[in-house]
Amino acid sequence: MAELTLDGVTKVFTEDDGNEIVAVDEVSVDIQDGEFLVLVGPSGCGKSTTLRMVAGLESITSGEIRLAGNRINDKPPAERDIAMVFQSYALYPHMTVAENMSFGLEESTEMADDEISRIVDETTEMMGISDLRERKPADLSGGQQQRVALGRAIVRDPEAFLMDEPLSNLDAKLRATMRTELQRLQEELGVTTIYVTHDQTEAMTMGDRIAILDGGVLQQVGTPLECYHTPNNEFVAGFIGDPSMNFFEMDVDRNQLLGDLFEYPLTPAQQESVDEAREVTFGIRPEDIDIEVDGTVDSEFEFEVTVDVVEPRGDENTIHLTFDRDVDDPETFTATVSGLRQLQAGDAVVATFPPEAIHLFDVDSGAALHNRSLDVPEATEQLV
Amino acid sequence: MSHETATPDDTTTRSLLGYPLRRIGLYLVLGAMAAFYLIPIETGLMTAITSPETYTGTHPYLPPLEPLIPGTGEFSLQPWGTAFEGLQSGLVNSLIMVIPATILSGLLGSMAAYGLTTISWRGQIGIYILFVAGIFIPYQAVLVPLTQFWYNVVPLRTLFEPIALTLPFVQEYHWKLVALTITHVAYGLPICTLLFRAHYKKLSDEMIEAARLDGASIYRIYRRIILPLSIPMFAVVFIYQFTQLWNDLLFALTIVQFGDAAVVTQELVGIGVSQSGTNFPLRMAAALLAALPTLLVYIVFGDKFAKGVAA
Repeated sequence: MAELTLDGVTKVFTEDDGNEIVAVDEVSVDIQDGEFLVLVGPSGCGKSTTLRMVAGLESITSGEIRLAGNRINDKPPAERDIAMVFQSYALYPHMTVAENMSFGLEESTEMADDEISRIVDETTEMMGISDLRERKPADLSGGQQQRVALGRAIVRDPEAFLMDEPLSNLDAKLRATMRTELQRLQEELGVTTIYVTHDQTEAMTMGDRIAILDGGVLQQVGTPLECYHTPNNEFVAGFIGDPSMNFFEMDVDRNQLLGDLFEYPLTPAQQESVDEAREVTFGIRPEDIDIEVDGTVDSEFEFEVTVDVVEPRGDENTIHLTFDRDVDDPETFTATVSGLRQLQAGDAVVATFPPEAIHLFDVDSGAALHNRSLDVPEATEQLV
Repeated sequence: MSHETATPDDTTTRSLLGYPLRRIGLYLVLGAMAAFYLIPIETGLMTAITSPETYTGTHPYLPPLEPLIPGTGEFSLQPWGTAFEGLQSGLVNSLIMVIPATILSGLLGSMAAYGLTTISWRGQIGIYILFVAGIFIPYQAVLVPLTQFWYNVVPLRTLFEPIALTLPFVQEYHWKLVALTITHVAYGLPICTLLFRAHYKKLSDEMIEAARLDGASIYRIYRRIILPLSIPMFAVVFIYQFTQLWNDLLFALTIVQFGDAAVVTQELVGIGVSQSGTNFPLRMAAALLAALPTLLVYIVFGDKFAKGVAA
């Protein structure tokens, strides 16, 4: 168990024709001892490459990786005292579960056989697979194989765990169960963990902190709620949260925003954040939009919209709304309402965009100019 | 709404005795091909169990059923006995050469394929291409250089003498078999490496990476993971190399030449041929006897071969 530091880690791949591909660009994260850090991002963002560099399976082009303060850039994987769980589990098919789990200890330590046996027994107990010890991987279900892969990593008692999308190959229900179990295990063992996933739900629920990558560049590192409520930029805002945030392109006209679909007044604080910008991207999360069925437009924050599609999810309904349903391909935005409310396509409703819940982003860089207020909403500020 | 499934219209398909003509035609062709393929072996077998005295003038493909059916020759197992006596030393020499050569081919081929496929290092593609080029070397092109090599360049004969003197059962002339073994291993290596490489390419990269992270060295990964997983391919290579080496005549003639160290293919050349004529039953019996070991190997390892090739 130790702190793991990534300091300006960069990976450049050179193709045969001389083309250089920057897969990871100056990523720096300080992971505390015992922390569960989730590396999340869309496919191809460089998260797996980063993980493999920490494991020693990829060389580091520039930058440094330190484990417990020691530089490990040039150490071969076997000497880094790191255990990894692969997406495909990577179990040894010709060995039994017990042999799979003993392999690491046999190859990297001088432990006696009975000592190794004892540790393997303890770990199989912990993982709930004691009765599978003599089976071969081919005779196990996906979930069982995954537990063996986890057990194989735990048995090593390493300084850090690396997990490369270990839950991706499981069905949804099993994934949900394993998520909580993994969290519990990690807390119990207290081992520093880097967990790579493309699933933002896993990131939000499992991480002590999450690090969001896009195109090899680190977008934000923070607690899940920090990234959710105060995203650094438009990418993070759109990536975290399901259904994702609604974005509208707006022009700035002193104290209000003008857009193709609607106009929106700005509070003085928001005007200050916008500053000199002529255009902004207006963002609001689906769950922050209030929907009234038989309402009237009482303020400048309310708009008449029509329901286009309703996606019932049981606990919630995701409503796709549009300002103009008569167009061939209507532009829609999403709102979330309680699952008990009955709405239908074609209903005319009033949508409210509360001013304390909006986000504003710079059009060119995507950087956040103004994030939502984290206070409980009070009376709306006086408009100038 | 149901659709009527299309049914074959019997009135438009030509048939004979109730079976479609096409199928009869297909079976006839297959039968003819099988007959063409099997008749020589059947003839050989029938000839081998005919007594040499009554052989001349009979139909070779008919079983010897005299005195029941005149003109077919008398049944006799004598050719087999004579054949065995004549081929004895050849069989022993072949075994001495083929078994170590096959085992070495397999081991070295798998190690070479491991080094060229599973491990990554600079320049390995160049080495691999050299191996592939080796497959295409025609044996005929290297016959003379090989003779020069073993008889004039490498002093294997003199080096081998002390071993022959000290160890029991080892004769001086066995140095030729050692030379033949080494030659066959060398020339068989490219194809064995290729076979193993095809197998190793299919192994999961992540599994090897997991082994590296588990702390295993390159050698340990080979011994504990690659080797156990190569068993199906070993069966394939074993059968292939055994058959190739057992049946080889060219290198045997070149390196061993005739004499005490002659292998079974060489003995087969001259058996049953003498000034008084050709003893066909003896030759047939000898040929079938010489083919027996490869047949046995195939029977024992055959299903593994089929699995290994299909995998």
